[in-house]
Amino acid sequence: MGTDIINILFSGIFHASTLFLVAAGLQVVFGVQRIFNMACGSFYALGAYVGVFFVKTAHAAGLPPALSLIPLIAAGFFLFFIGPIIERGLLRFVYDRDETFQLLLTFAVVLMLEDVIKFIWGTSPQSTSELYLVYGQITWFGAVLPVYNLIVIASSLFIAVLIGYMLARTRFGKIIRATVDNREASEALGINMKVVYAKVFTLGTVLGTMGGALVIPSTAAMTEMGVELIVMAFAVVVIGGLGSMKGAFFGAMVVGILRSIAIATYPEVELLVIYLIVIGVLVFRPEGLFGGSRA
Amino acid sequence: MAYVHMKNPKLWVFLAVTLFLLIMPRLGSQYLSYLLLTFLGYAVALLGVNLLFGIAGLLSFGHALFFALGAYMVAFLTTKFGVLHMEAILLIAIVAGVLLGAAIGAVCVRYIKIYFGLLTLAFGMLFYSFLLKFYYFTGGDEGMRVLRPYLLGMDLSAVPKMQFLLGKYYYYALAALAVASFAMWRIVSSPFGLCLMAIRDNPEKANYLGIDVRRYRWYAFIISGGYTAAGGVLLAPVLGQVDPTLTYWTHSGTLVFMILLGGFNTFFGPMLGAFLYIFLQDTVMSLIPYWRFVFGAMLAFIVIVAPGGVAGVIGSLWKKEAARDSARNNADPGSERSA
Amino acid sequence: MPILAASDLRKSYGDFVALDGVSFQVHAEEFVSIIGPNGAGKTTLINVLTGLLRPNTGKVFFKDREITGLGPQRLAKLGIARSFQLVNIFPEFTVDEFLQVAIFSRQGKGTHFFTPRGRDHEVRNQAGDLARLFGLGEKRNIQAKNLPQGDKKLLDVASAFALQPEVILLDEPTSGVSTGDKNKIMEILLSASKKMGIQSIIQVEHDMDLVFSFSDRIIALHQGRILADSTPNEISRNEEVVCTVLGQKECFQIFSDLFGKKGLADDG
Repeated sequence: MGTDIINILFSGIFHASTLFLVAAGLQVVFGVQRIFNMACGSFYALGAYVGVFFVKTAHAAGLPPALSLIPLIAAGFFLFFIGPIIERGLLRFVYDRDETFQLLLTFAVVLMLEDVIKFIWGTSPQSTSELYLVYGQITWFGAVLPVYNLIVIASSLFIAVLIGYMLARTRFGKIIRATVDNREASEALGINMKVVYAKVFTLGTVLGTMGGALVIPSTAAMTEMGVELIVMAFAVVVIGGLGSMKGAFFGAMVVGILRSIAIATYPEVELLVIYLIVIGVLVFRPEGLFGGSRA
Repeated sequence: MAYVHMKNPKLWVFLAVTLFLLIMPRLGSQYLSYLLLTFLGYAVALLGVNLLFGIAGLLSFGHALFFALGAYMVAFLTTKFGVLHMEAILLIAIVAGVLLGAAIGAVCVRYIKIYFGLLTLAFGMLFYSFLLKFYYFTGGDEGMRVLRPYLLGMDLSAVPKMQFLLGKYYYYALAALAVASFAMWRIVSSPFGLCLMAIRDNPEKANYLGIDVRRYRWYAFIISGGYTAAGGVLLAPVLGQVDPTLTYWTHSGTLVFMILLGGFNTFFGPMLGAFLYIFLQDTVMSLIPYWRFVFGAMLAFIVIVAPGGVAGVIGSLWKKEAARDSARNNADPGSERSA
Repeated sequence: MPILAASDLRKSYGDFVALDGVSFQVHAEEFVSIIGPNGAGKTTLINVLTGLLRPNTGKVFFKDREITGLGPQRLAKLGIARSFQLVNIFPEFTVDEFLQVAIFSRQGKGTHFFTPRGRDHEVRNQAGDLARLFGLGEKRNIQAKNLPQGDKKLLDVASAFALQPEVILLDEPTSGVSTGDKNKIMEILLSASKKMGIQSIIQVEHDMDLVFSFSDRIIALHQGRILADSTPNEISRNEEVVCTVLGQKECFQIFSDLFGKKGLADDG
């Protein structure tokens, strides 16, 4: 029984780690630009596919499998260029429009990216499952835990700390926080919004692609992953509170652990429970655990 | 104008389109007529979705829920409860749509814009998870079969499938669309419709004019629930089979896409959008497998360049022509000479 | 019985006190102007009176009924309407549609969802009459967003009148209107009120000429408190009010313009 709990907790935290990255990307874009980017799931999917590709290429070039984390992280960063393409190429034209149109534009991006992935990689899943075995497992209080999952959890935490540091200490971070708090005042202070938006969106993109890349050894990259993930990511940010980084962290934990419990006990209720909670949160506390009031 | 009214040239277009819809199954290819049949179901559904979006200004990313509700009602009623009369099925499904709309709407209309969209998306996905979970009743991800209903009391199960669909069923659905459109036209041209448009344009001011914004949005949601369910009912026998993907959030996105494509600002825009979407999808799919990319690009183009959709573009071309005409008339030297 | 009464209204935002114990009454047939420098609390007062804000303490009464914090929609149904300082319109609506929706709302026809509004001649005629009353008779088919700024203002006010309220609150009805037109607008407001049976008008105004010419009573607000609440004549004799509200430089000028030899110049 105890080992079950540890297993559930552990895999829950693992799910939460990748969810957190994608959710963090969503939050920073929503907080600063007030746009709910439905394409974050697509970024996740892209990260996964490119991650597989980088890992396979690296192995073919002789990289020892133990260092596979490197090409995965590289894949996440590599895809940063998607951010400016979408932001400058599409999103910036609708900044002055109604929120609903902005949402629809991100939906258009979802559609386009779905086929971009299909075009490049086709429809069969891509995976590097052998990797999992390379990293092996450890045993802790009788529970068997894959080492790779630990690495992902650690990386995610590290990135969370980095984000926290960035927000608190760097100039860019201060600009982000100022804009989230009071957009008009920030503009009045002469901050170049164009540049900030481009940077923020790119940051959001990379967080999404990184989440996708890191999850790779544990699942295969599949066509549906983007569209399915948005459903989870959306639950995370609603529960945590739209626009809040802390919210992304705690929301991810709630969703990740809930998922894990559901999978271990009654798999069919996984989505149901999560969505009941989402609706409950939206009804009783629309600002989520940490969001500012907005509804 | 807050809404486009019908003038003479438009009346001709209307008649031409009606004629086309009436004779298409006789003259056109079976396959294209089949597509037209799916259009009929979506057209009825979109009347409801656009009452919420175009008239009341609320974007729902979960209306496929009602669409699926209607479709599953047909499956349930025909296969598990032995109810085969289409009229009864329509009635029950519309009532179900109205009741569910009242319940879900009561929760959702307390919020606006993005929160409304996200909440409706959540409900849509909640329904999806219901359909998957209770697989004993709903067939889970394999879905359920739909038996052929009786039309106006006639048992047509002996008729070959295509002949049934493209014959009596087509005209039945077309008649349903006509009735539904007439009813929605009345709703939109009523004082209630004007109040909804006021709420869309400036909810604060509407409040100040004594309009109970939240309550009226709720009414609009309820009506749209019934309509969208009806659309699902009409589509189910055409598909022959219903499954949970009908309520997946991307299908809700498709409903909105259709409206945007045709134009949310005119009465027939959404229908035009459904028509264009269905036929374009078919055309594009036969040319390249990457139709989603094309459609995504189309949606992006519409949102950025032509948010009024095709109807909006036609409308502004029309106005330009009219303006050019009156300018030409005003500049006519003949009228000046008489001065 | 007063038609509208405010009883010890207090409203603060954190440390900032917007209203500090405001009480007054408005009776039928009165035209009351609320004056005061910026930041005196005028807009907050109107917002509280029209139900948009709840005061921290204090009550608002409409005839004998307490209406504190009821919300604009309920108040509109009860008979209290308001216009806005910054024009608040339905941009896509034509003048006709704009007025019609207000009339439909007043007549409780807002939930009639199956009758064509084009066939309701009574409402259309009323909308037409109202449009003409406000000088917009020729512009009935023009969309609100295409009207000149002054007309937008008139339309906004006209829609409030369309509710046939018993009390109407106007927030700077002549702001954004050219000086030449200001008098005209006030005349329109007064004759429209008579015609529509509006009992009392409360307005926030900065133009002192208008205020002194048209008001039955003036309430002067300063830093959240009522400085004076009396007729124009009495106020013009009360130095404290005039100089706080109007600013020192303007004091003497306005006095000599409006009241001949009376005022500071004489008393000083």
